Amino acid sequence: MGIIRNEIRRLRFEHGEMTQQQLAEKIHLTRQTVNAIEQGKYSPSLEAAFRISAVFRKPLESVFHYSEE
Amino acid sequence: MSFREKSAWISVVSMAAIYGFYFWSLLHAGRKAAGVGFGGLLETIIALVFVQVVLTVAVAIFSPRDAKAPRDERDKLIELRAMRFAYAGLATGIAFACFFGAFDPPILFGTNALLFILVTAEIMRSACQIVQYRRGA
Repeated sequence: MGIIRNEIRRLRFEHGEMTQQQLAEKIHLTRQTVNAIEQGKYSPSLEAAFRISAVFRKPLESVFHYSEE
Repeated sequence: MSFREKSAWISVVSMAAIYGFYFWSLLHAGRKAAGVGFGGLLETIIALVFVQVVLTVAVAIFSPRDAKAPRDERDKLIELRAMRFAYAGLATGIAFACFFGAFDPPILFGTNALLFILVTAEIMRSACQIVQYRRGA
């Protein structure tokens, strides 16, 4: 089964140390969901993934990586 | 811990405690339960609603931002999974009830058996939500 990894934690740091709560408010998710996504425990919907990418002004594949393991 | 996880805890603990006491009382009352059954059930439902409302309001007061936040996609997914899990329990319980219904049990016993199945399914739903919130999704 594949694993979706992400760069959200690093990107938050690079964007003025944005908090999980601030990111959550921008993408209309809860802070707990952002935390779960960051830790790789929850894979967001495609729409949420695009919203996250848009916040950081990065293409989707720069934020999320899929690997088969 | 999110507001929705706290709500699930409130649901599990209050239902297990209050309905647990109700069914325990019925078991101890034995045959005498026929005379007191539905009065006790009404009191149980009122107690459950009161406890759940008070605890939920208390939690909302301490974390108003979480309480006001609408359910997001993960909350909805967790709810759906929990509902599917509880439905399996409910369907199994009802199948058993149908089987034992063929033996023509007393109406109070049959009604309380159905209530027990419903309460168990509801506890399963909330417990499944808690497990998923603890795991992350």
